[in-house]
Amino acid sequence: MRRVVLWSAVVTALLGLGLITAAASDLPGVKWPGFLPFDSPEIQALLQKINDLKYYQAPALPVKKDENYAATSTDVEPFGGLKPFKEHFLLQMEYIGAGRSIPEPEHVDAVKIGFIGPIMSTVSVATGGKSHEEALGIQMLSGSRLAIEEANARGGYLKRKIPFELVVSNDNGLWGSSGNEIIKMAYKDNVWAILGTIDGANSHIAIRVALKAEVPVMNTGDSDPTFIETNIPWVMRNMGDDRQQAYLLVDYLYRKLNVKKVGVIRSSNRYGRFGIREFNDGSRRLGRPVPIEMAYKLGQDDYSLHLERIKKADVEAVVHWGDAAEGAQILNQMRKMGMDQPFFASDRCLSEEFVNAAGTNAEGVICGFPWNPDRDDPNLTSFRERFRKRFGTEPDTYSAHAFDGMNMLIWAIQVAGLNRAKIRDVVAYLPGAWPGITGDIVMSACLDDVGDVYLGKRENGRWKYYSRADLGIPRGYIPPRDRISRTQ
Amino acid sequence: MRSSRTYVSAMLLAAAVSVVRGDSPSPQSAPGNAAAKLPYVYTKWKQYTIADGLPNDHIFAVKADGPKVWVGTEDGLACIDKRTGKIQTWKEKDGLPWKVVTALDVDKKTGDLWLGLFGGGLARFSGGRFDHWHQLNSGLVNDVVYGVAIQGDNVWAATTAGCSRFNIKTGAWTIYNEKNAPMEEIWNYGVFASEEKVHLAVWGSGVLEFDIKTEHWKEYLDPDGEMEIDLYRDDGLVHVITTGVSYVEKAMWVSTYFGVCRYDGRHWRGFFAHESGIPSDFNNNLAARSAQEAWFCTDKGLGACMDFDSDTWVAYTRNNDGTGKAVVTKGKEVLEVVEGPVNVPQSFIICAAMDGNDVWIGTGKGLAWGIGEGYYSRVKERAPAGKPAFRSETSTSKNGGAQ
Repeated sequence: MRRVVLWSAVVTALLGLGLITAAASDLPGVKWPGFLPFDSPEIQALLQKINDLKYYQAPALPVKKDENYAATSTDVEPFGGLKPFKEHFLLQMEYIGAGRSIPEPEHVDAVKIGFIGPIMSTVSVATGGKSHEEALGIQMLSGSRLAIEEANARGGYLKRKIPFELVVSNDNGLWGSSGNEIIKMAYKDNVWAILGTIDGANSHIAIRVALKAEVPVMNTGDSDPTFIETNIPWVMRNMGDDRQQAYLLVDYLYRKLNVKKVGVIRSSNRYGRFGIREFNDGSRRLGRPVPIEMAYKLGQDDYSLHLERIKKADVEAVVHWGDAAEGAQILNQMRKMGMDQPFFASDRCLSEEFVNAAGTNAEGVICGFPWNPDRDDPNLTSFRERFRKRFGTEPDTYSAHAFDGMNMLIWAIQVAGLNRAKIRDVVAYLPGAWPGITGDIVMSACLDDVGDVYLGKRENGRWKYYSRADLGIPRGYIPPRDRISRTQ
Repeated sequence: MRSSRTYVSAMLLAAAVSVVRGDSPSPQSAPGNAAAKLPYVYTKWKQYTIADGLPNDHIFAVKADGPKVWVGTEDGLACIDKRTGKIQTWKEKDGLPWKVVTALDVDKKTGDLWLGLFGGGLARFSGGRFDHWHQLNSGLVNDVVYGVAIQGDNVWAATTAGCSRFNIKTGAWTIYNEKNAPMEEIWNYGVFASEEKVHLAVWGSGVLEFDIKTEHWKEYLDPDGEMEIDLYRDDGLVHVITTGVSYVEKAMWVSTYFGVCRYDGRHWRGFFAHESGIPSDFNNNLAARSAQEAWFCTDKGLGACMDFDSDTWVAYTRNNDGTGKAVVTKGKEVLEVVEGPVNVPQSFIICAAMDGNDVWIGTGKGLAWGIGEGYYSRVKERAPAGKPAFRSETSTSKNGGAQ
C-alpha cells in the first residue's frame, strides 16, 4: 500500500512540474476489467518515460526501494546479531539495455505469448525421477488458456485488432531442456513474453536464457525463494513463495502454539530441498532447531525408516515439504504407526489429491498456502464458473495464479505495445496493486509478490483458510529500515 | 584544504549519480591540472554496428586473434580484419549451425575457431567449414552453451546443465556435473582455461577450479551462504551466482550480479558500486589483462580496474545526450573525468576481450574497439586530461550519433 501511495505521489509531482503530460492514447478510455484505463495519467506518465528513447538512453524511472527484504522479522534474519557489509534485493533492478529502441514489427498476424510448464509425462532428473508435476502444469496451462481466450473475445490485441496466441512448451524433459524451449520461443516463435514454470531447477534455467534473450518471464507456480534472488530484471513472480509460507508456519508453531520440537520430512528434489530451508533456518534462529530432518526419494512407497527415526526423536509436530501423493502416504503411515502428532505441510498438499489419498487422516492437517480461495470476491466466483464451464473441472492454485499472471502480461502488452523491454517495464512499474482473482498482487522491489499468505486447515471435510490475523499469530519485529542503516 | 575537500566530495557525489543514471557530465571535467598518479584512459575508440557490416548489434562474444577479431552476435558470426577494416559475416544460410553465438575461443595450435551456440551446441569453424556437435550427436551435455575455452587438446564448454570437455585428439567427451564435481547447481556460465587450471563460473555454485595435472576440483563459495546479504567484506566470493571468471598471473577475478571480486591465493577483495569505481554491481562478464587489471561488463557501463593495488578504476559510459564519458576513481574519490565523443556505443556491456594494448567491448547495441595507443599498465604520474579527450574514429556519423 505504501508503494502505491508513493507512486501516486511521484506521478502527481511530475504532473505538477509539467514533466509529463496526458498524451493521447492509442486506446482512449479502454478499461481493463478492474484496473486502470489505458489512458490514465499513471500509465501515460510511465509510457512517456519509456517511449521514444534512443538506444543509448536510460529511462528516468523511479527505482523502488523496499525497507525490509521479504518482510523478514529481525529474529529470523540471517546472522541477525550482525550488521552485514551489504544487503541485496532492496533496490529494484533496472534494465539499461537498448531493447526499448527496437521498433515494433510491421507485420504481425498474432501476438504470441509463451507458456512453459510440465504438461507431458517424462523422466526428469531435475524433478527427481519420473515426472510428477503434470497435474499442476495442466492446471497452469488451463488458467493461461482461459486468459488468452477471454482477451481474444474482448478484441485481442486492440491496437492492431489481431489475436493473442499461446505458444505451449513442455519443460519436463531432461534437465536443461527448459533452456532449449525458452530459446525456441524467444528466437523462433518470437514470443513477446513467457509464463512459467513450476519446478525450481527448470525455472532457474529458463530465466538465465530469458536474461540473455531479453524476454520477460512471469512466474506463477514456482515457490522456490531463490527464484527471484537472482537479480534478473526480466523476471517477476505473482505468488507468495516458500519463504513467506515458512515464516507463517514458523510463527504459528513456535510463537502461537509454543511447540518445542518439530520433525521435518521432505522430498529430496529441489522443491523439498529449497522449500524447507527457510523453515529450518527460522526454527534455529528462534531457538527451536529442528532435531531431525529426513529426506525421501520421489516414488518410494515405504517411509517406515524415516518415520521410525522421527518417532524416536519424540517431536511434537511433523512438517512435510513435498508433493501431495507422498504427503498423504507419509501421513497415513504415521497414523498407522501410532504417531498422532499434528501434521503440517507445504502448499502442494493442500489439494484434492492429498485428501483423496489421506482419507479421514486429512482432518486437522494444516498447510501453508499462497492465497485465500475462500475470499468473498465476485471476480473470483465468476472466474470459477467460467473455468468450470470451459474445462469441466475446478480451478486450483496453479490455474488461478496463471490466469492472473497471463492477464498481467496481456495487459502489459496492450499498454506497452510489441516491445519486450517496454512490456517488462510496464509490469515492473505497475501503477498500483494488480487486482487479481487471487487477491491484490503487490510487487516488491525485486518483483516478487510479498502479499499475505495463509494457512489452510482441513476442518469438517473441507479446507478452511486463515490469515495471520484470523488466528492471532504473532510475528517478530519488522524494522522500517534496511539492515545497513539501522542504528540497532 | 577545506575547499579542496569540498570540491572532491562534490565531484564524487556528482560523478557517482551521473555514472549511475547515465546523465550528461557535469561542467567540471577535471579536478585540477596538477600531476597525479593516474591510469591510462582509452580515448580513441571505434564503434561497429549493423551499419558497418556486423550481422547484428546484440554482441554476445568477442575474441581477438592476431589481426582478426571474431564477433559472436544474436544473429550471426563476424570477423573484423583490423588491417583492412573489412568485415566478413556468416549466418545460418552460410553454414553457421545456429544463429545465436554466445562464446568464442581460438585454438592457438590449429587456428580453429570454436563457437558456443545459444541453444545450438558447439561448433568448430575450420578451413571455411563449420562442424557441429550437439546433445544428439556427441557428449555435449546441453545445447545451451554460455562459455567455451581451449585447454591443450581439450575444448571445454560451459552449458546450462553441466560442463563438457571434448578431447579433439581422441574424440573423448567428459561430462562434469553434480555427480563428479562439487556443483550444488549445474548451471555453468563461464569457463576460463590457463596453463595449470580450468575455472568454471557456475550460477549457484560459485567458482570451481579444476587442476589439470591432478584432475581434482576445488570450490570457492560465498562464506556466509546467504543469498540476501554479504556478511563481511573481503571474506571470500561475494556471491554464489557467478557469471565470469578469469585467472591471470595467479590472480582470479570473478564477476557476479552482486559485485565482483579478486583472489590471489591468499587474500580476497570484493568491489561494489557503492565503494569503488565500478559502475554497477550487476556484471555480465569480465576480461582480465593481468593480476592488476581487469575489465568488468556491467549493466551501467564498463568498469576497468586499472590498478588493483591502489584501487584505481576507469568507468566508461555513454551519456543520455549521446556523448561518452570516462570517470577515473580511486576508491570512490574521483580523480579525473574525461568527456568527449562516444566510447562504448551503449552502456549495457555484455562481453570484453583483451587484444594486446587494445580492448574490444561487446554491448547490447554494437561493438567498440578501444585503441591503446601509448597504453601503460597500472598508474603513473601525469596531468589530468583536458576536454574533450575522446577520439571516435569510425563511423561516428553512423553510430555515435545514431538514433
